[in-house]
Amino acid sequence: MAILETKKLTKAFGALTAVNDVSLAVEAGTLHSIIGPNGAGKTTLFNLLTGTFPPSSGRILYDGRDITGTPASRIAHLGLARSYQRTTVFPAFSLLDNVWTAAFATGNSWSGLMWRRTDRYPEVTERARQALSDVGLSSKSNQLAREISHGEHRQLELAIALAAAPRVLLLDEPAAGLSPDETRKMVALVRALKGRYTIVLIEHKMDIIMSVSDRISVMHFGSLIAEGTPEEIQKNPEVRRAYLGGVAA
Amino acid sequence: MKRPFILILVSIFLLPLVVRPAIASEIWIFAIFGLGLNLLLGYTGLLSFGQSTFFGSAAYVAGWLLKFYGINAFLALGIGVGVGAASAALVGYLCVQRSGLYFIMLTFALNQLFYFTAYQWTSVTGGEDGMPGIPRPVLLGIDFKDPLVYYAFVSVLFLISLYAMKRIVESPLGKILQAIRENEIRAEAVGYNVPRFKLLAFIIGGAFSGLAGVLYAMLFGIVPLEAISFVFSGNVVFATLIGGSGSLYGPVIGSFVFIWLSESVSTLWARWPLLLGMAFVIVVLFLRGGIVEAWSRFWLWRSSKQKN
Ligand SMILES: Nc1ncnc2c1ncn2[C@@H]1O[C@H](COP(=O)(O)OP(=O)(O)OP(=O)(O)O)[C@@H](O)[C@H]1O
Ligand SMILES: [Mg+2]
Repeated sequence: MAILETKKLTKAFGALTAVNDVSLAVEAGTLHSIIGPNGAGKTTLFNLLTGTFPPSSGRILYDGRDITGTPASRIAHLGLARSYQRTTVFPAFSLLDNVWTAAFATGNSWSGLMWRRTDRYPEVTERARQALSDVGLSSKSNQLAREISHGEHRQLELAIALAAAPRVLLLDEPAAGLSPDETRKMVALVRALKGRYTIVLIEHKMDIIMSVSDRISVMHFGSLIAEGTPEEIQKNPEVRRAYLGGVAA
Repeated sequence: MKRPFILILVSIFLLPLVVRPAIASEIWIFAIFGLGLNLLLGYTGLLSFGQSTFFGSAAYVAGWLLKFYGINAFLALGIGVGVGAASAALVGYLCVQRSGLYFIMLTFALNQLFYFTAYQWTSVTGGEDGMPGIPRPVLLGIDFKDPLVYYAFVSVLFLISLYAMKRIVESPLGKILQAIRENEIRAEAVGYNVPRFKLLAFIIGGAFSGLAGVLYAMLFGIVPLEAISFVFSGNVVFATLIGGSGSLYGPVIGSFVFIWLSESVSTLWARWPLLLGMAFVIVVLFLRGGIVEAWSRFWLWRSSKQKN
């Protein structure tokens, strides 16, 4: 069953149609990748799914429910969490506080919101620690986010999304700017998360995509031009022409 | 007990020996005002340039009721807190959707609106002459006309305010407001309705301002027109930045320095704002964390020297 679905989703910025008539269905429990050249509209699609801005037209269904127009701050509570292509964390916070803030938001209850000390929420803290440990940052939990390396920032980015205990993870180029070694670790991490969450992955690196995806959708100038298994996508002539070019040939 | 708390307790006892009780009271009243502002400025990252709106509104309303209806002092304080919170809810509602310079200008403009209302409405506020004749009430048989007794009363309310603010900034709310300061977009994305939390910060800050406003009116027996003017709004921003907006105690230290200087130096030297201006420039250029940061840097420097 599709857990996340878009129907004829369109977003125009003035004359530019960044997302054009996209109908997409993500099956629960799968890893579904979205690829496409720079400026294809992949990040814009995520922005629509997470309520950063409303679509110009079309609908978004989550778990069979129409969530079109739901504001960004409600989306996390529905069980959709995202990581950003360009790292966006809380710089002056410790790593633990970064994930704690995300874990608290979607916690069972906000009782004591204005009064109880933050260290008196054992289950929130536990979830936050688990998220850090999932991405391998446990040993740095007391370090400030502004003091860690780029690679660690990418891990933290993912941990913040995990801390929300989501059902669906939207990952926007988690390996952006990573060294080959860091990239290998990130791929292993994404692979480890596969199955635990439904994952929608945007990525440019073809080898990663082909090895981890259950399904792949290809975007080009805002439109979906192909969808299928990694083998099907590799063979698709239109995809080769539009995107893979010399890489797959 | 923690060191800052002991320092504050000691200051509360020593201060009346050094300055007039009225000035000593003013310091802690202004500190309550600063605590409220700093929840917005230091924790949420919102520079409100209109805090006297809440301070002044509360002072006028409670002052009026004290003067003409002789209400109980606790009731007056409660009403002040309520008026401060309500006026902040109104102003906050109009301001939280804006950001940057627009936000600052709007808090200022609304402050001006309240100021001119008070200025024009002379039958109630007394306009430029202020609203005089506000009694300091008798409570539980204690006469607050004695300046030292009133000082004790103010000190206790200050300690309660400080404790309340400490709890707030160490609660999830404090964390969420700081998250908004650090990264509004991410705070929204992880599941917080940012405008609503900003509004909450306004209301809490307004409640503290209101409490300070009523205490101020009872201290001097008058609500001067300045109490709702941009001068007071500016002063509290000034004092908080000098003390250090990055910590809970910054506005307390700032109030201490600001009120003391303005009372002692101003009588000796009419151009004392020049001194404040210079202090301000130094803080903005070199010490974003104000006196609190200077202090901790000093200790870091000392301890590093001792190790060598
Ligand atoms: N908020 C916005 N306002 C105006 N134009 C935008 C906005 N966001 C994206 N665009 C434009 O929409 C198009 C699609 O951008 P988008 O970021 O979605 O591409 P992408 O597929 O994520 O590319 P990349 O692989 O480089 O990350 C681009 O031309 C971009 O300039
Ligand atoms: Mg992108």
